[in-house]
Formats: sequence, C-alpha cells, structure tokens
Amino acid sequence: MSRSVTRFRYLLGEAADNIKANRTTTVLAVATTTFTMLGMGVFLLLYLNAQEALGSLKEEIKVVVYLRDSVPSREIAQLRSDLSRDPAVAAVEFVSREQALAAFRTQFPSEERLLNGLGDNPFPASLVVKVGPAHRSSEQVGGLVQKLKALAEVDEVLYSQDWIDNLAVAVRYLRVLGMGIGVVLAASMVTILANTIKLTLYARREEIEILKLIGATTGFIKMPFVLEGALLGGAGAACSLLLLRGLFGLAESKLALKGTFWGVGRGLAFLPDRVTVAFLLLGVMLGCLGSLVSLIQFRDARS
Amino acid sequence: MIEFFHVSKSYHGRPALQDVSLTIEKGEFVFLTGSSGAGKTTLLRLIFCADAPDEGQILVNGRNLLHLKKSAVPLLRRTMGFVFQDFRLLPKKTVFENVALALKVGGVPEGVLRVKTTETLGALGLGHKVNALPLTLSAGEQQRVCLARAIVNDPQVLLADEPTGNLDAELSGEILDLMKAVNARGTTVLLATHNRDLWRRVRRRVVRLEQGRVVEDGCPEV
Repeated sequence: MSRSVTRFRYLLGEAADNIKANRTTTVLAVATTTFTMLGMGVFLLLYLNAQEALGSLKEEIKVVVYLRDSVPSREIAQLRSDLSRDPAVAAVEFVSREQALAAFRTQFPSEERLLNGLGDNPFPASLVVKVGPAHRSSEQVGGLVQKLKALAEVDEVLYSQDWIDNLAVAVRYLRVLGMGIGVVLAASMVTILANTIKLTLYARREEIEILKLIGATTGFIKMPFVLEGALLGGAGAACSLLLLRGLFGLAESKLALKGTFWGVGRGLAFLPDRVTVAFLLLGVMLGCLGSLVSLIQFRDARS
Repeated sequence: MIEFFHVSKSYHGRPALQDVSLTIEKGEFVFLTGSSGAGKTTLLRLIFCADAPDEGQILVNGRNLLHLKKSAVPLLRRTMGFVFQDFRLLPKKTVFENVALALKVGGVPEGVLRVKTTETLGALGLGHKVNALPLTLSAGEQQRVCLARAIVNDPQVLLADEPTGNLDAELSGEILDLMKAVNARGTTVLLATHNRDLWRRVRRRVVRLEQGRVVEDGCPEV
C-alpha cells in the first residue's frame, strides 16, 4: 500500500511538473479542449432537452373526438363507457359545449368579440381520449382514429400524432448529427492533447532515457504523461461545463426560456448530475487517449 | 557473472564488436580499454540490453540476454549501476531526488529510500549538497552524484563508461578510489576508459579492444 502511494504521489508530481514546465502550451491546450467540449456539451444539452420534450409529448398523446350537436347525453354516456373499455384507451374525459366555451374564454379573453359575432355557443361537445402507453405507435393511434371516425355520433376527430412523429424524426436526426459532430470534436481534442503531450515528451526525452537506464518500467515512464493528459482533459471538461452552465443561465434569463418547453414537459433543464459526471469522465478519457496516441507516436519515432 | 560467447555486433554494416568471448567473474574489477571506436561502449550497451548482439550469446548471472523478455529488462537493469562521462543527471531535480530516483523506480518505500539515499550521499561526501541542483556542482561532484545514483540500490554490477573523461587527474583518482571501495563491498565493476593512467594506477585485469576484437586480456605489470 505504502509503495503504491509513494509511487502514485511521485507519478502525479511528475505530471504536475510537466504541466508547470509547459505553462503556455498547457493553457492553450486547456482552452482549446474547453471550447471543443463546449461544442459537445451544447449538442448534448439540446439533444437531452429535445428527447425529454418528446417523452413528455408522447405521454400527452390525446385524441379529441368532437360530437354532433344532436347526440343525446345518454348516448354520449354510453359512448364514453364503451371507449373506457377499449384496451387502447387510458382515460376518457367529457368536455361539454359550455365547458369548451368557458375554456376558450379563459385562454383567449381578448377574443370575446369573436364569440359575440357568432351568436350562440359555437363549440361542440367532445370526448378527450388519452391513449394508453402500449398503444402510442402511429399505426395504433391511426387505427383508433379510424374506428372513432366511423361512429355515427362523431363529427370530427383531431389528434397530434403526426406532429409528434415528426418531432421524433427530428430528435433522431439531432442524435445522429450530434454523434457525428461529437466524434469529429473528440478526434480533434485527442489530436490537440496528443500534440501537447508530444511537446512534453520531446522536452523530456533525455530524462526518459535516464529512467530507462536505471530500471524504470514502461508503465512508470508513461504514467506521468497519461496523467498529464487526464488532467488536461478533465480540466477542459470542467471549464466547458462551467461555461455551458453560464451560457445556459444567460439563455434562460435573457431569452425567457423558463417554463414549459412548447407547452409540454418541465421546461428546459441543464445536464443531469450523472451526465455531468459522465461528461467529466469523457474529458479525462479523451485526455488519456491523447497521451497514449502521443506515446505510441513517440515510441515509433524513436524505434 | 558476465559471459560473452562469440558475440558480434554491427551498426549500419560497420562492425563494432567481432567474435568477442569474455568471462567476468563476480566481484572482479575489470578495465575495458582501447581507442575511441574500439567497441567499449558497444560492449557495455549489450550488457544492459540497450542493444542486442547480431551473433553470439551473452549471459548475465546465468541468464541468457537473448531470451530475456522486454518486460524483464528493467528488472535486470535494477541489478546494475551506470556511470557516464556526461553524468546524465536530471537538471531540474535536486541531488537527493536524482539519487533517490534509482530506488523510486523499484518501488522502495519512502522511509527506506530516505535512509539509503542519505547514507549513500554521506558516504560519497555529498551530505551537504542534498538540496543542490546538479548544474550548480563541480564536475567532480556531479560524477560523485552519478556514482551515488549507481550504487544506492546495491547493484551486483557497476558499469562505467569513461567516468573520468571530463575530470582532471586528481578528480579521476578520487572517482577511481570510490569505485575501488564499491568493488571492495563485492560489486563487480566494469570500467571502460581510454585513459592509460587510470588502469596503470591499480593492479587490476585489463581487457583491451581494438576494432571490435579483444586483443589483450590480463593483469598488466605496473
């Protein structure tokens, strides 16, 4: 235990010495890493929020069934009862003509004169059908809608499925685009860090030769450089997270993005804690990868 | 201890060692002499596996270096100490850190490391220089630091390549005396030098190389 601690302390000290010895390069590497990871973070934030919104929208899939004015209330009650027994239906809510009118007045108080011009209550009674979680595919909702349209009591059926499907496709494209851009940014980050570590390696090549001579293992020689990469990558990731948080707060306050997202979900949210930790670890891992790339190139150049 | 069997080595088609056979017993003090380019450094490099022979076999402590795995090379080197003409000290580390590094690479615990490094530096008259940086020391002091690093982990073999090349006669004698003391403790010493005065001072075995071949091997008359 004591040996491992002594050795790790030494290796960490060496990594810190490398960083101190190349301050300008280190600052540039961390700055570039920060902006590279900021790009990844922005995409991740957009994707996670879009996915969250999509999930909320799917939970809200409703089919609004407008009824003919002539349908008597006992038939409506019967229809409601029949629909409630349908396995595709999670809940059915009846909205009377009066309730629809009151809802319109509450939502659009400035449009009162529009109603005056129309005379009597123009709103039909409706049944709001909530689709069950297992029956939310396009085909299933389409089938339910066709079935409802065929009913004699039904005047018109409206539903939001197409719009939700389009959003789902957009989210899928965002994910693919985000992954593509993420891979490009990650590759550039690895290259930047690899070049930074390479400078340190060349600056310390004499020292590496001496360490080899006195019996240092490859791991002992390489570890400070891997740790240096990990520290640079981790620092870049941490700085990018701070910047991203700042930009997110700014967007929230200046662009008035608080509240729900397009009327659904819980509004825009920052990266969850577990994603933040994963993002930091990604920075550390990419830093290590950059070091390993430079160590391989250094070995090949000297062999 | 160290055995060479018909060893040859060339660099870019130019022979550096040709059919060298040699045995160095445990505890021996051997001078390796010859003019520049005679093959002294090549012979040392083959012993610590910096290079591999083109032909022949080398045994160190009964282990055939030809069959030594790459991962075992650091372990072999930890049984050896090295002294160089150009000292090869780390300029940004203190004298203490330079010497302690030889123990650190072997994973020696901090407490033992401190005691051994302090003792070794004290024995070589460098007790008051522990916190100095190598470039602030004289050439003789730097070579003593290099020697301290080489012997701090009690090596079985001490390999020295022109250790007095940068030193005047007086300091050379000092370093030679220290190496004799190391040898007296049981460490095998192989000292490569083209300086005749050095091996004429002490009655020890001398192996002379010329153009990569052993042309003389014995204890010359002083």
